Amino acid sequence: MANVSVSEPFPIFLVANRYLIHDINVITYIRRKYNTTGVLIGSIPQVPQQNVFMGVPLELMPEEARLLVEKGVAHIVDDVNAHKDGLLLGLSEEERKAYTRMLEKQGLDAARAAQKRAVNRKEQSLQKLAQKNRGTENWNDIPDDMFSGPRKSKSKRKTPSAPMTPTTDEEETLFGSPANSFPTPAVSLPPSVLSHASSSHVKTPEEPLLITPTLSYPPLQLRTPPTTLDTATLPPVPRSYPLFAYLHSKDYFLLPGLRFGCQYTAYPGDPLRFHSHFLVNGMDWDEEINLLDLVGGGRLGTGVKKGYLIGGKEGTGGEVGEGAEDGVRAFCIEWGGM
Amino acid sequence: MASEHDEDALPSLGLASSDEDGTLDYAFLAKLSLSASTSAPKIPKRGTKDFEPNSTRTQTSALASSRDAMHTALSVGRVHLPKAHVYAVYDAESCMAYVDRVKGQHFKTMGRDVGDKGGKGSRLWLLPEECLYLLERSTLDVRWPIDEADGGGVGGEGEEGEEQQRLGVPMSLQGAYAAFIGLQAEKGGALTLERYAVYAYLKRAGYTVLRASSWDGPGNVPEDRVVDEQLPARYWGLGLFAEIWKSIFAAKPEDPTERQRLGPLVTPGLYRSYADIYRLLALIPAHDPALPSSHTPTEPPFRVTYNVYKPNAVYKKSAPGPPDFRIAVINARETPVPSLDQLAALLDTTPYDPPWPGAQLYQKVRQGYRNVVLAVVDQGVVSYLRIADAGMERERLYERTGGAFRGKRGGGRGRGRGRGRGR
Repeated sequence: MANVSVSEPFPIFLVANRYLIHDINVITYIRRKYNTTGVLIGSIPQVPQQNVFMGVPLELMPEEARLLVEKGVAHIVDDVNAHKDGLLLGLSEEERKAYTRMLEKQGLDAARAAQKRAVNRKEQSLQKLAQKNRGTENWNDIPDDMFSGPRKSKSKRKTPSAPMTPTTDEEETLFGSPANSFPTPAVSLPPSVLSHASSSHVKTPEEPLLITPTLSYPPLQLRTPPTTLDTATLPPVPRSYPLFAYLHSKDYFLLPGLRFGCQYTAYPGDPLRFHSHFLVNGMDWDEEINLLDLVGGGRLGTGVKKGYLIGGKEGTGGEVGEGAEDGVRAFCIEWGGM
Repeated sequence: MASEHDEDALPSLGLASSDEDGTLDYAFLAKLSLSASTSAPKIPKRGTKDFEPNSTRTQTSALASSRDAMHTALSVGRVHLPKAHVYAVYDAESCMAYVDRVKGQHFKTMGRDVGDKGGKGSRLWLLPEECLYLLERSTLDVRWPIDEADGGGVGGEGEEGEEQQRLGVPMSLQGAYAAFIGLQAEKGGALTLERYAVYAYLKRAGYTVLRASSWDGPGNVPEDRVVDEQLPARYWGLGLFAEIWKSIFAAKPEDPTERQRLGPLVTPGLYRSYADIYRLLALIPAHDPALPSSHTPTEPPFRVTYNVYKPNAVYKKSAPGPPDFRIAVINARETPVPSLDQLAALLDTTPYDPPWPGAQLYQKVRQGYRNVVLAVVDQGVVSYLRIADAGMERERLYERTGGAFRGKRGGGRGRGRGRGRGR
């Protein structure tokens, strides 16, 4: 899963001057290979009412997008026009039919998976109850909703089906299979689907669940990216870009740093598992620096046991073949404690 | 050192898996249980983060499993159950979507009914941010519109006895961002990705969020009727010299200008109260929040964007009432820190909301007389700052009676303890 590979150059989607990535495979790939994390800004459908864990899409800083494009591993796609021309003005009849068929198939898979999970959960609960009540054999203790349908009088004589295989962990009920898995619906499935679930064979659901897909790119087609780099269309970046590129080339992960009083926070490895080392501010070489900014930054960094790092590109640059990170020097400031 | 106590850390989110940098390990999402039949969620002990990468296998495998957990969690798709399926149709002209068959609790606080389109009764129209939010949380199925002439569209849901609706192709999450934010911006809409990020954050937290009147223009500012007793008139913003010229002291209605220019501020004489002396010393004009605001016009980034309401059982869409919070959304990369004028203009658009007069001084100053929340968005990361007009002018220490000085003396006593004067 984490070793997923993606064909380069992959698309970065430009929407209203922001750079988004919608494909989870690309997100995992650039995290692993190009030490680029971005910021996840979407809701996750399995737990939507919280702000702690965020989901797809990923918002890239313009610096990150430009760096990936300059490396030649990504290209920018104007998503708005692609959708306007493709989906808004209408697909052709065959494209529409093919897309609908594909979604129906996914929906049927999802319905089957959800039903299987519901059955597993029920078996698991019955098993737990059986273990608890071992010895009492009191079927009156089994709550009514364990059984399908509102059959009140006969429900207490139902026996659980014979061999109860140990089911998967509760943690996995949330995710199921990795690719294109769907959450267990919070609402119970209609009785027609579950009516024979307690017996050992399972009826295939006829109704596919309706899907809201994540990507638009099965119906839309990606145009082949241009082979030469057009510098005019590169994402516009602030003055701190050379320092960003320099730290990135040293394998640091850089995240937006406004909450910490700096432009970026630099992590020595994946932010999932490491603390950040530096609070980064990039500047022009000849830019005047306010002493109070240095003091403030140094205090801030030292207070949270991080280094306050400033830097920029020395000289005027502009030589042929020079990368964004060449000629950059970085300096750290911290309190000496004398 | 693996664990660090971070004194500047952002307040803990209560989940053991969070850390001071705010990035989270998705492995802990797996422990949150959802279905009603299982027991209460177990939040596990956090694994501490490491200082820097070393080449041990423990670290590499921990990292790999964290990444796997994140990948799995984010691969889950959005489904709609047939019974709970609500669909909306996108309208390209307005970049909004309309819902014909409304089901569910969300529409009690979202959307607006517009009556009688096509003779079918009223339709519920949803704003772009509302549509996108509902689609993201897998509540709404948004469809691209059908080209009527084309005769296209796919068979929609067919409930018993009703004819099948012809619906367009479902909009994907990617398409929704392109349509509700991208296309909308092209048509001159004011919803940016930053504004949407704040909207979604507040909705996820459970608030009801409406657009303020200054969403895309100066908006209308209601006239303030200030009921509080006003302090002796001091006019803010007219310049120091003019202010002194016009200022009137309640106790002594004489023109103090000559006296101030030439002689000592506190002219020799017999004074019977400290308050009289302090009043003579007050040279610097101060802003009194109880006065009607000057209504300087607001500038575009510093305008109230959203009116936010706390979850409320008696909320009515037709008459929501005064909001609990007013939020101005700022893009950190495009807008520098506001100047005093900009902040004053922004605060002037908020209503006069004085603190309870009996509260402690510090509480009153913190609460302030007018307040607004700035939501500063830096590339997807949102920070909330509450700005209040403290109204220090109304908290005159020399006018406090009796118990007001108890705290000061007690503090003095405490402070003196260390210097050997403990008594």
